Amino acid sequence: MFRELLGGLRATARAMASRPITIQYPEEQRPVPPRARGRHILHRYDNGLEKCIGCELCAGACPVGCIYVQAAANDPAHPVSPGERYAVRYEINLMRCIYCGYCTEACPTEAITMGPRLDLVDYKRERLIATKDDLLEAWSGFTTMSQGVAPGLGRPASQPTPMGAGSPHSGPAGRAPGLRPVIPAASGDPADTPPA
Amino acid sequence: MTDVARSPELITVIVDGRPVQVPVGTLVWDACEKAGVFVPVYCAHKKLDPVAVCRMCLVEIGTLPKLQPACATVASDGMEVRTRTEKVREFREGNLEFLLLNHPLDCPVCDRGGECDLQDFALRYGPGRTRRAITTKVHFNKAVRLSDKIVLDQERCILCWRCTRYYDEVTGEKELVLQERGVHTVVAPFEGRPLQSMFQGNLPEVCPVGALTHAQYRFRARPWDLRRTPSVCPGCSYGCNLNIDTRETEVVRFASSDKPEVDDGWLCDRGRYGSGDLNRADRVRSPEVRLGGPGRSMAYSEAIEAAATALASVISEHGRERVAVLGTPLMTNEEAFVLQWLAREVIGTPHVDHQLLPWTDLSPAEFSLGIEEIEACDAILVVGEQAEATAPVLTLRLYKAERKSGRRVSRVPGDIEAGEAARRIAGASRVGVISHERDRGLAAQVAAIAVASGASVGRLTITVGVNGRGCKDLGLLPNYRPGYVATAEVGLHGRGILEGCQSGEIRALLAVGPNPAVEAGADLDRACAAVQLLIAITPVRDAFWRHAGVVLPGRTIAEKAGTVTSSEGRVQTVRIAVHPNIAVPSEVGLLAGLGACLGAARPAPTAPAAVLEEIRTAVPSYAATAGGLRAAWGKLR
Repeated sequence: MFRELLGGLRATARAMASRPITIQYPEEQRPVPPRARGRHILHRYDNGLEKCIGCELCAGACPVGCIYVQAAANDPAHPVSPGERYAVRYEINLMRCIYCGYCTEACPTEAITMGPRLDLVDYKRERLIATKDDLLEAWSGFTTMSQGVAPGLGRPASQPTPMGAGSPHSGPAGRAPGLRPVIPAASGDPADTPPA
Repeated sequence: MTDVARSPELITVIVDGRPVQVPVGTLVWDACEKAGVFVPVYCAHKKLDPVAVCRMCLVEIGTLPKLQPACATVASDGMEVRTRTEKVREFREGNLEFLLLNHPLDCPVCDRGGECDLQDFALRYGPGRTRRAITTKVHFNKAVRLSDKIVLDQERCILCWRCTRYYDEVTGEKELVLQERGVHTVVAPFEGRPLQSMFQGNLPEVCPVGALTHAQYRFRARPWDLRRTPSVCPGCSYGCNLNIDTRETEVVRFASSDKPEVDDGWLCDRGRYGSGDLNRADRVRSPEVRLGGPGRSMAYSEAIEAAATALASVISEHGRERVAVLGTPLMTNEEAFVLQWLAREVIGTPHVDHQLLPWTDLSPAEFSLGIEEIEACDAILVVGEQAEATAPVLTLRLYKAERKSGRRVSRVPGDIEAGEAARRIAGASRVGVISHERDRGLAAQVAAIAVASGASVGRLTITVGVNGRGCKDLGLLPNYRPGYVATAEVGLHGRGILEGCQSGEIRALLAVGPNPAVEAGADLDRACAAVQLLIAITPVRDAFWRHAGVVLPGRTIAEKAGTVTSSEGRVQTVRIAVHPNIAVPSEVGLLAGLGACLGAARPAPTAPAAVLEEIRTAVPSYAATAGGLRAAWGKLR
């Protein structure tokens, strides 16, 4: 009996000497593994054009049917994506999504990837339907230009969303950006950068 | 072998070791289909003559050393066809490699992706790899606008000639041609002129790949987004069958559906691209009562009660004959039947119509000619331009009769003298006379002359609206009850009703909208504004909606279930393709409810199927029309 008591006290003493493993979430966050399948990201090419061409293969591959895409024809003078077609609406129901990543495998242009963001909570269900505004990767071209036309994009910088998309369906205005997950330093891939 | 095998008109063909019996003159392709063996084709098309240019259907036949095209080889007795040999497999693979040589492989942005024969066959029979870098492909023009309706992508074309043959053989307009030679061959509009045909919308459907696409449907949906509902084209009364393709709550396209007796697989552009009318934004979504005050939305049962109360007070104050009922040729048979029941049995007014012009001097010969029988007539006379302008697919049937059967087709203007018109069909023993409802007087005179000269004459009258024929058959007329039983008292026809509204003769009007047949020829706004009480059932914000005291939301034809009767008397089913965004019963239910509130002696059924049963009892010729058959007109009185 005495031996068991000592054993217990030893474990306690060892734990007292080590650092605690609890962290003060959400003020503190753990690094997310580089291949974690968190919330999706829609990517851009270096010139700011969207990679997504609105082909709906992601929606077709989705086993739970949580992706809605509405395509439209590109205006050749002001293209949103390379080629003839782009996604005017791109919505993912994050409550229904099972984060399997089939959409990223189906994507012919690698426009969609699973991102590192895991804090998918909100007080309202409709806010958990991610629109294109939410999902689309930020592009430095918009912030560096004060006015004029973005190279290769042909849209005034005063319009923050080049897609002209989802204007009636845009994401919740004034939504707090929330806490950003800490990305491990090993990942230098810009694709892993969380959306601004 | 059975007796059938020895009969002279049937031969036996062995397809992959399986004997099948086919009529003499059958193509190997059809024999294979009958044997249940699939042979891939691009250039062959059921409605077009064989050319054998795509070389996709090559099969081994008997001891012939080279492969033969199944789509152009006529089967002979005892012929042995092999489609699954190594030689055929290797050839198909090589052929697909050639077809994909300069194909841009832009399936993700192509509207055809998901329902493309090139995709399907490349997956099933293709090599699965390429020997050529994608950067070395020869490029052609993309997204060439051939007209406001059709977009051509020359890169995706596999040169099957289906589109040019369609123009040669089906419409006879020859607007597309093949230009240049060899690998530089492209399909292009003749002399670069924009397409003007009324039948361009069929081009993307005959195209086996994504070279020709609809401008209207461009990038709007993917095949796997669509829910398909077989229905009837709401464009006119010709009765073309089609599929309504919907995405969520939106009708995105009309696709043709082959009904050989009616449309022969084709649609006209007005019908096909009329699908946008079903997505109108100015819809009436909830009942509204504006009697003596500002409009108030209310539950449909209260709105019906308000309408019935207002109508009853007009009846008690001014009498039953001061009430008129105006239907629309866009109604289904069930709605038309219940509406005339409401007018005659419940309200008790003789003033009921669905169109402007009076419909008199009726004869059973009016609709004696079926669309399919046109090809069997020796001579066909089209009286007036309105018939083909209203029902354009008729033109394709007439061209087929001319081209395939060598029939004589004459067209005369609507203001010609009858004797002059009859000379065009003189000497023929079997004559077809086709006219629009507007020109039926002249058509009747011409037919009478032809009958007097000893010819057997069939007449086809193109009616207004999608269901003008059904509205007439089911007594939505001031002078006929259902089944063309003459009424004791002849009421006002459509124009008379509208004039009566303005003169004060008509105090209350129950109108179903929209009514293009009436809107086209009358000042509907003034009549609706003048009438004391207007009760409107309409899906859109038309003139009826603007002036109505009580508005009840209606449904578009894509939201209805029921039957419509085409000009030739074919009773066809329309189904619910889009569920309406209103918590209100269908028109049949609304009209039955209105009847119940007005104190009908016997309640009307509210389900379309139950109404159809009543129609079959009341109108004997409709009893035998289940399954899309024609109502036998001769039996009507």
